[in-house]
Amino acid sequence: MLKYIIPTMMLMPLTWLSKGNMIWINSTTHGLLISLTSLLLMNQFSDNSLNFSLVFFSDSLSTPLLILTMWLLPLMLMASQHHLSKENLTRKKLYITMLILLQLFLIMTFTAMELIFFYILFEATLVPTLIIITRWGNQTERLNAGLYFLFYTLVGSLPLLVALVYLQNTTGSLNFLVLQYWVQPLSNSWSNVFMWLACMMAFMVKMPLYGLHLWLPKAHVEAPIAGSMVLAAILLKLGGYGMLRITTFLNPLTEFMAYPFIMLSLWGMIMTSSICLRQTDLKSLIAYSSVSHMALVIVAILIQTPWSYMGATALMIAHGLTSSMLFCLANSNYERIHSRTMILARGLQTFLPLMATWWLLASLTNLALPPTINLVGELFVVMSSFSWSNITIILMGLNMVITALYSLYMLITTQRGKYTHHINNISPSFTRENALMSLHMLPLLLLSLNPKIILGPLY
Amino acid sequence: MNLFSSFTLITLLLLTIPIMTTSSDNYKTSNYPLYVKTTISYAFITSMIPTMMFIYTGQEMIISNWHWLTIQTIKLSLSFKMDYFSMMFVPVALFVTWSIMEFSMWYMHSDPNINQFFKYLLLFLITMLILVTANNLFQLFIGWEGVGIMSFLLIGWWYGRADANTAALQAILYNRIGDIGFILAMAWFLTNLNAWDFQQIFALNPNDSNMPLMGLALAATGKSAQFGLHPWLPSAMEGPTPVSALLHSSTMVVAGIFLLIRFHPLTENNKFAQSILLCLGAITTLFTAMCALTQNDIKKIIAFSTSSQLGLMMVTIGINQPYLAFLHICTHAFFKAMLFMCSGSIIHSLNDEQDIRKMGGLFKAMPFTTTALIIGSLALTGMPFLTGFYSKDLIIEAANTSYTNAWALLMTLIATSFTAIYSTRIIFFALLGQPRFPTLITINENNPFLMNSIKRLMIGSLFAGFIISNNIPPMTVPQLTMPYHLKMMALTVTILGFILALEISNMTQNLKFNYSTNIFKFSNMLGYFPTIMHRLTPYMNLTMSQKSASSLLDLIWLENILPKTTSLIQTKMSIMVTNQKGLIKLYFLSFLVTIAVSMILFNFHE
Repeated sequence: MLKYIIPTMMLMPLTWLSKGNMIWINSTTHGLLISLTSLLLMNQFSDNSLNFSLVFFSDSLSTPLLILTMWLLPLMLMASQHHLSKENLTRKKLYITMLILLQLFLIMTFTAMELIFFYILFEATLVPTLIIITRWGNQTERLNAGLYFLFYTLVGSLPLLVALVYLQNTTGSLNFLVLQYWVQPLSNSWSNVFMWLACMMAFMVKMPLYGLHLWLPKAHVEAPIAGSMVLAAILLKLGGYGMLRITTFLNPLTEFMAYPFIMLSLWGMIMTSSICLRQTDLKSLIAYSSVSHMALVIVAILIQTPWSYMGATALMIAHGLTSSMLFCLANSNYERIHSRTMILARGLQTFLPLMATWWLLASLTNLALPPTINLVGELFVVMSSFSWSNITIILMGLNMVITALYSLYMLITTQRGKYTHHINNISPSFTRENALMSLHMLPLLLLSLNPKIILGPLY
Repeated sequence: MNLFSSFTLITLLLLTIPIMTTSSDNYKTSNYPLYVKTTISYAFITSMIPTMMFIYTGQEMIISNWHWLTIQTIKLSLSFKMDYFSMMFVPVALFVTWSIMEFSMWYMHSDPNINQFFKYLLLFLITMLILVTANNLFQLFIGWEGVGIMSFLLIGWWYGRADANTAALQAILYNRIGDIGFILAMAWFLTNLNAWDFQQIFALNPNDSNMPLMGLALAATGKSAQFGLHPWLPSAMEGPTPVSALLHSSTMVVAGIFLLIRFHPLTENNKFAQSILLCLGAITTLFTAMCALTQNDIKKIIAFSTSSQLGLMMVTIGINQPYLAFLHICTHAFFKAMLFMCSGSIIHSLNDEQDIRKMGGLFKAMPFTTTALIIGSLALTGMPFLTGFYSKDLIIEAANTSYTNAWALLMTLIATSFTAIYSTRIIFFALLGQPRFPTLITINENNPFLMNSIKRLMIGSLFAGFIISNNIPPMTVPQLTMPYHLKMMALTVTILGFILALEISNMTQNLKFNYSTNIFKFSNMLGYFPTIMHRLTPYMNLTMSQKSASSLLDLIWLENILPKTTSLIQTKMSIMVTNQKGLIKLYFLSFLVTIAVSMILFNFHE
């Protein structure tokens, strides 16, 4: 595991010792090299996990998320260049350091073997994210957004700490690998119900569950581009990952505790998609679409069947890449129009045809066009929820319709129609931006050739 | 592997070559459209080989090429089904597309993005062929969604126009509603049969197949514009005419019917599903034929006639004659594509005028187009020994002699006679009489691209029905004996329609236009369906999302319950607990009192 952690740490001195004009290229190249070495993790040669040490391990569930984390760092760096061009050198270096620190924490979170260690790192990721949001956000509301972000996540996750301490006391170990063979079925008592809630709530807030999602649109909208990307792509998936890991200890309580949350998710999925239909703010639309997609993941995880787990994992990876790409596209619009309002960026297809292609591809993957992995994920989730209860197909189907509608509404509003006159002198899209989009798109397309590697444990 | 499967694969591979070479210089030249067209013609010729082998020997085949995914007990692989339906449909689709491509070279020649247009059309064709040849539901779904998205892109081709964008979005919306049904069927087959491959599904042949069949019916309703989800088809006429000819008449819209034909082993044992499909089809065919009667936009009339024919195909599936429905798909493709191309020729020559009231007398100015249009209309109405006759007449006869719902039959017959009426209307208004278009228009139909493409389909409209129905292996035995009046029924109602329309048109041509009746308004306003459904539903839905989902729940309730309440409680508590109340006068007063008292005490100290 040190082969990922040490290079990532060494990225920091690399950044600080680089000359001013080299900081971006150096950190991006090395980030990409690290992400290439992470592909070795794909070689999961047995059904068990790869145990690197007593502290770190990875299995087929964490590997895709781990690779996604490492893949995203260079992309974040590429996306932030324009945004930081006005800042001075030290601040740029500080910004990059924050991103690297975040990646470091995330890598360790996804590979942590101990639940307490996982918890500490899970909380540690809040710090760099908070700094990125509140220091480099664009408007004053960023402070409020940072406050929401911090408080929602912290309040949600503190009970988890208590529950973990209790678990440690009763079972004697919090090791993922040991615990799954060790756990006893929980009895149906009030204290266990509260323990279930304490364990799940931390991740549900992070996902976010509908009703606890208010921090997400605010944080997304106010964060700088790299912050939005990493939030949408990885931080939300931390919640899903945690839920997938921790539900193994909570049986058989999940079977009936899941009902209110599944219902809330199904309801919230429709509600947040409907909100997307009325959004005028591009980033807010993408943020709400994330909430709606994550609701599907919550449903899938709570249903607890092999198909639903596979669907949840695939959907997390697919949504990570897609929403990150959508945020990048929104950012490239923002850098030209200087506004997030969609109506001000009409008819861009005439000016930036290649960018319009990226928009089209991103929207199509967002609405889960077959045979992309987004569809694989969604289809599996729909299948498993259908076999759980036939009625859910109505809500799922409705959500599919609305998702298609708002994705294409976003596409049509920004790309089609007559252009406005104030965009006559916008700059053409840079190679950097096109490279950024293609680096998002290529994994999405290539993964649809072999989705098996992101389905998690195949049971 | 013999010639049969390899040539089918070659056909499919050939079509992907122009897509693959997008990044080469070939794509940047003006020869790209010609290249695409030629590729399709080669693909057509190649596809004829397996089709002829099929006709000769009747062999069918399934090939599984590339193993994609195995999850638990379900195996998904790239698999092609080369059976009666796909083998017959592929050449027809390729032939029609070939002509349409040639037509687009004329129609779209001034478009700066013509290469991209051709690439889109080709991509559409490929997805359609994926749909037709797919052997499992997932692969079919790829084609199914693919044609939907390509239709979105092609309808919205002129992306500067708001109408085009709306129509494109509308098409996707209705298609997506249909997709719910498709997903439902997929989920049902997976959970109950654990199979997505067709042969496995049919081998298991479940008894209680109502739910998946209703899902498939919903899917077909969306894709094939059956009643309830039909308004997108006429709106789709916002797209360029070649798109209307290819997608919205001959290929994409029949995908829904095709899906039901594929699943006929399940429908043939299910009386409930059959009745539903029969009623749905009958309502569609009558309703859309009625809407076509009073339209003035030439493309809209043809679009509604397409919808009406799709309803007829649905009726055919409802009376358990899937092979006849399939025959109608094949024959319909020829003349309907040609009708659209003729209307495109007229529209282009009259400077983008689509209103039939502003045409007239075109038989002198455009003799070739007139000929083609009349042949196409006659074929559409089922004139004996033209292409449409071979399928339509059989369908009506089969409906007449089957134990079917009398109402459905009556509606179908009325719709059949309406077909003749609106066809007459187009001919009468656009082609006959005196010219009503501006005199400064230069009409020219002597372009080889236009002439050749229409000519080819005209030959198809004349002989294709004869050729196809003479060569296909007999799958259904037509009713050989029936009473005289039943045999003549289809022909009678059609001729009745013709005579009626011609007489009324002749009689009322110079009359004053009366204040329109309610029936006329019903037909002209498309049964008030779009007015109601396209105003009320989006209005309610969007208001709901704004008022309750966004404002009430997200911005007020959820915001108030957690963050605002927490901060409020904190503020109140801190105020309550603290000593500092900000009462400055009182503090100073107490200060003053203290000083005063101490002073006094000091003074009186002794």
